[in-house]
Amino acid sequence: MKQQVKTITKKDFSTFVNTLIKDGTYEVIGVQAKGKRFAFDTLSSAGDLRLDYDVTILPPKKYFLPQYEMLLKFSLQKPFEGKETLLDAPRIIIGVHPYDLIALEQTDRHYLDQQQDNFYKKRRENTLLIGVDIQSVSERSFAASMNTNTTDTGFDLLLTDIGANYAVTIGTEKGEKILKKYATVKDATSTDLNKIKTARNTVLKKYKQKVKIDKKDWSSLLVANYDHAIWEERADVCMECSSCTMVCPTCFCYDVKEDVSLNLKQGNRIRTWDGCMLKDFTKVGSGEVFRDEVKERYRHRFFRKGNYLPERYGFVACVGCGRCGIACLPDIADPCNLINELAHFNSESDTGKYFIKEDNEVLEKGIIHLPRSATIKKVTKCNELDSLFEIELDDKKPLGHKPGQFVEVSLYGYGEAPFGISTPPGNTPVFEIMVRQVGNVTKKLCSLQPGDKVGIRGPLGNGFDMKTLEGKTLLFTSGGTGMVPMRSLINHVLNPKERNKFKDIIILYGAKRPKEITFMDDVDRWKKIHDVQCELTVDKCEPSECWGGCTGLITTLFPKIQADKLDSKNTIAVVIGPPVMYKFVIKCLQTLGIPDDNIYVSLERRMKCGVAKCGHCQINGVYVCKEGPVFNYGQLKQLPEAL
Amino acid sequence: MKQKPRVAVFDFADCEGCELEIADLEEEVLDLIEIVDIVSFREVMKDHSDDYDIAIVEGSIMRPMDEKRLRSIRNHAKILIALGACATMGGVNKIRNQWMPEDVKKEVYGTADLKGNELFDVFQTKALNEVVPVDYYIYGCPIDRDEFKSVITAIALGKKPEIPRYPVCVECKKNENICQFELGSFCLGPITRAGCKAICPTHNSPCEGCRGLIKKADTECVKEVLDRYKLSYEDIRRRCTMYNYGRKECSYDE
Ligand SMILES: Cc1cc2nc3c(=O)[nH]c(=O)nc-3n(C[C@H](O)[C@H](O)[C@H](O)COP(=O)(O)OP(=O)(O)OC[C@H]3O[C@@H](n4cnc5c(N)ncnc54)[C@H](O)[C@@H]3O)c2cc1C
Ligand code: SF4
Ligand code: SF4
Ligand code: SF4
Ligand code: SF4
Ligand code: SF4
Ligand code: FES
Repeated sequence: MKQQVKTITKKDFSTFVNTLIKDGTYEVIGVQAKGKRFAFDTLSSAGDLRLDYDVTILPPKKYFLPQYEMLLKFSLQKPFEGKETLLDAPRIIIGVHPYDLIALEQTDRHYLDQQQDNFYKKRRENTLLIGVDIQSVSERSFAASMNTNTTDTGFDLLLTDIGANYAVTIGTEKGEKILKKYATVKDATSTDLNKIKTARNTVLKKYKQKVKIDKKDWSSLLVANYDHAIWEERADVCMECSSCTMVCPTCFCYDVKEDVSLNLKQGNRIRTWDGCMLKDFTKVGSGEVFRDEVKERYRHRFFRKGNYLPERYGFVACVGCGRCGIACLPDIADPCNLINELAHFNSESDTGKYFIKEDNEVLEKGIIHLPRSATIKKVTKCNELDSLFEIELDDKKPLGHKPGQFVEVSLYGYGEAPFGISTPPGNTPVFEIMVRQVGNVTKKLCSLQPGDKVGIRGPLGNGFDMKTLEGKTLLFTSGGTGMVPMRSLINHVLNPKERNKFKDIIILYGAKRPKEITFMDDVDRWKKIHDVQCELTVDKCEPSECWGGCTGLITTLFPKIQADKLDSKNTIAVVIGPPVMYKFVIKCLQTLGIPDDNIYVSLERRMKCGVAKCGHCQINGVYVCKEGPVFNYGQLKQLPEAL
Repeated sequence: MKQKPRVAVFDFADCEGCELEIADLEEEVLDLIEIVDIVSFREVMKDHSDDYDIAIVEGSIMRPMDEKRLRSIRNHAKILIALGACATMGGVNKIRNQWMPEDVKKEVYGTADLKGNELFDVFQTKALNEVVPVDYYIYGCPIDRDEFKSVITAIALGKKPEIPRYPVCVECKKNENICQFELGSFCLGPITRAGCKAICPTHNSPCEGCRGLIKKADTECVKEVLDRYKLSYEDIRRRCTMYNYGRKECSYDE
């Protein structure tokens, strides 16, 4: 489509901006000087605009995903009064450079997917973007190499300085309307159009930084160098400050916190920028940090930009603005520099993909942050640490989950935490979760009583694809709390209506200590079923504890499998347990001759959003909360960070 | 209703700046006393009681008599909170640890005879946790009021308070400041615990490290940055003396 181009004199443009400010319909934001650098800020006069700027300290993402944003307001007195607080004040942002416009389009892909973020969406809808072609090139920018120095999309209006006038390219109807309403413009002549080209070409020559590798080849270059020494060498001088991610227009991971008023009456749920360079980004309640080494975090950031998001969305998630290069004190964050360095080592091999494509149907559409209110019906204390909760959704609508899915349980004032659903699917609003006390949310949950309210989001995650289990012998191995989602699966396949779809069933279950065995009633019931073999073990048993069963790690149960029952090629193995368990169990399964593609595992990672937005649960390029937590081992083994 | 926890505020060697931050909560003091009973707070009230659940202690420990008093506070309190740089890490009071106590006394009081006067019987400055176990830390010189509130509400709700374990740069970047290094200044932000909303660089002055170091000053990355900005180890050592003398880094979980 041919875009309309107008011209406006610089004087008339100032009047246009001042009229907008005076009019007051919009909050008018524009690029301004901040010391010797530049920043977007609310504009009080057109005279403060600095359209000749090189780069702003922070990108305009701060207007769409603010540093601190209130997601919910809640009351601690009347539990489960939570309200979303959407911003609906209209805004105009003047002076956005093409690379930042493109970065916003990339952010759209992530935040406006099937599980849309309504906060982001509202802000996008309410904001008009007036872009400007780059006049001064930031010393660290390599936008020209990324093809982001100019753009035909992503703006409502785009200005180009062509001498005495600005050329105004109209990108959208909204842009056209505002121009009509507030500005005096002329149609651009062919001389004007030529001037635009000349202006852009002149600027193109000013780029000092150039990437030697075409951006479409970043992905394979990175893959070939996944284990390169450069990650460690550079990570050695990394300050772990995450400045590189804070200033980046395409870094959009976040954390969620509870802010409670001093009188404990109400509070806000706040989301704030988080960064994958920080150690706590992948830390879970048990104390484990999934990307503990700086090297892993440092590599993750580049892979996310050059491989994970490109594989997912088809674009390199770096727009070459150069902000990270300026911000990083030891100067190791600049992708231009890193890619050029790696280019020396370019090797041909690009096996290994770090992304699993899976198009899940999204069960819960629409509001992704607001939990549904639910009531605790029953609490059963299993041991000192674990309690089983029966929960009913207050809207009485069925939860509608598959085995293997999880819910985010919300306690206002404390936070949210993911829990596997331990009951089989059914047409009911009632379900069970088992909670082990490790931190703030889990400890508080375990102090609640029947009648108390909690918030529920979900069901989330992919769950098991039951079709793949049909007609097969099923070997279920679970350790510790892995039994929680496993119980849902086992009781589902044992349901008389389902049972004949599957062959024999073998259940192996290991717990640390006898008292940590959960769901003993179920276990006893399973043991009595003739075509089910159910074996238990505990790691350790004190003399004081009464335990007549097997002791030893879960792997000691494998010799007990009646080999004649096991047609290994026609067996599906499901493994759920603590991270340390997987390697050993998978080895046992392989020894039994079970193909990798017949093995399914369910993984745990730090989670916040549960809807593939916040970034915490990533294993390489995979969001565990969306593409998982259930994975096929044949696919999963491509991911070096997985097990 | 459950009885409100009883809170007592104490101070040792300090400037009382952190207590002042609490007193300055203004209307919110009313909110505070809605959730706790303040039974002792020398800076703002006359009453005193030895019956308290939570002790909020400001200041550093300088003398045997301080140690004794702190132990007794610890015995009374179920929860002990260290308030401010002086209490959490020794803070500015540790600058004096560069010299021996005897030499310091000579320098300050000359030849005056201080023998037997326990008020002047000083040893090397200690943070509270060098004398008794501390349950919660509220960092800063002075403390950040919002952080104080969040720690108090966390304790009241039975939560573990969330104290950042990442550097000041994170908050500084969110505030869109021009980096002090870019301005030719030298900032401890990259190795200092965040939580103050990067108040110093936001007001155009470098971070002095008052919330404690989270990285050693002699790690490779710090050396690299010092080199790059033509600074020496001596520069950073001197800079760290203000709040972090004799302290290498806060532990990750402190
Ligand atoms: C898919 C999935 C299923 C799970 N199922 C169960 C279950 O059935 N029973 C059970 O007891 N536990 C389960 N967990 C672990 C449980 O989510 C954590 O123990 C819990 O989040 C800890 O929260 P906390 O606030 O008590 O701890 P804190 O240490 O205070 O954690 C703070 C926050 O960090 C995040 N976080 C911390 N640990 C984890 C973790 N292990 N996984 C994900 N996010 C974490 C949460 O957002 C949490 O609110 C599951 C985790 C995942 C990812
Ligand atoms: S990685 Fe660096 S250069 Fe690329 S978009 Fe982000 S801040 Fe800009
Ligand atoms: S790469 Fe640079 S900016 Fe990023 S965390 Fe490391 S030191 Fe900080
Ligand atoms: S920490 Fe600072 S403000 Fe607080 S008492 Fe000590 S010197 Fe004063
Ligand atoms: S001014 Fe200090 S705290 Fe801010 S980014 Fe620079 S080094 Fe970090
Ligand atoms: S910026 Fe540094 S010196 Fe200033 S309050 Fe924060 S931690 Fe303390
Ligand atoms: S992306 Fe937020 S939990 Fe998965």
